[in-house]
Amino acid sequence: MTDESPYERMLQESLKDELRLLNAHLPSEQKTLSDLLEEEYPHVTCNDGSTHLFKRNELDYLSGLLTSDKQESLLLPMIIEVNPGQNEMAVICRNDVEKDVIRAVLDMPVTVDNGRITIYGPQLSQLRKTLKTTTQYLFSPKILG
Amino acid sequence: MTQQTIKVRPTKIELIRLRRRLSLATRIQKIIKDRLSILMLEFLQIARETVEARQKMLDEFSMAYRSLSVASGLHGYLALEKEFQASEKELELISGSRNVAGARVVSFELKEDKTPVKSYSLVDTSAYVDQTRQLFESCLRSMVALAELQSSLELLGKEINRTKRILNALDYLIIPGLKETIKFLYMKFEERDREEKSRLKRVKALLEQRGG
Repeated sequence: MTDESPYERMLQESLKDELRLLNAHLPSEQKTLSDLLEEEYPHVTCNDGSTHLFKRNELDYLSGLLTSDKQESLLLPMIIEVNPGQNEMAVICRNDVEKDVIRAVLDMPVTVDNGRITIYGPQLSQLRKTLKTTTQYLFSPKILG
Repeated sequence: MTQQTIKVRPTKIELIRLRRRLSLATRIQKIIKDRLSILMLEFLQIARETVEARQKMLDEFSMAYRSLSVASGLHGYLALEKEFQASEKELELISGSRNVAGARVVSFELKEDKTPVKSYSLVDTSAYVDQTRQLFESCLRSMVALAELQSSLELLGKEINRTKRILNALDYLIIPGLKETIKFLYMKFEERDREEKSRLKRVKALLEQRGG
């Protein structure tokens, strides 16, 4: 049997915790922009039971970009997928609304490939600066192997 | 620096276990590296925003105090103090949390109240007083924004330190230790093989001697 020192056992435990909390911050369900605009305190509940609060000014900014029917199809928070060992990330697109939002925020044309919009470091900074609470990171299941 | 090996029995099953642990540790190392790069990106972004927000707040305070000085020069400090003493406004601060790549940071938002403060006399005061009030309200918003940014910066910094410690433990302790132990086990097995071979050779030689 492996004779583990207490220090090594502690490290193993902390590594397991790392894996556990990696995607624990993801919302248990996404809400549409129109629903969130109606809430007094717009928020979603995360998988770990915590609450993720949306900023009212971000929601107002998004509502200014989209028509009322598009507001009903935009699911928030938008998910940014982090790919292992690569400099590129991908914004997951369920429909064209996300594409419109990303295009408006980054002020550049974007293309959807396999339901994903690929973005790079500088664009990610710009996107996160504008949409701090309405975007969320997802560590790709590919990382988990 | 020589790496300490883990005390294990030199058996094949232990080797399989160690190899599994090494592959898990390598995978976790990749994940933590990615998470660290995201946290660093967010930290730098918030640091830049904090500098901007601090400068903005200082500028606004400077303008607000300048305006207050003009208003108190016009109305007299005592008269202005009397007017402001009766002024009240309820403020609602929404406090919550948001998550940045697994790190929970605070989120403050001052609820916009469109009703203006009208408790001071509009007849006895001038537009300078209104302007001063507006400027101080804007200072308050900037203070709330700065408070959020600074506490986020602090929390992200702590999370980065924690993640770095784990990554360093993996880089310099766990993974090299596992590799060293696996290497040690292979050496043990090879040694056993060599022993086995020489024993067989010896037995063969003895048998040949007896037969001859």
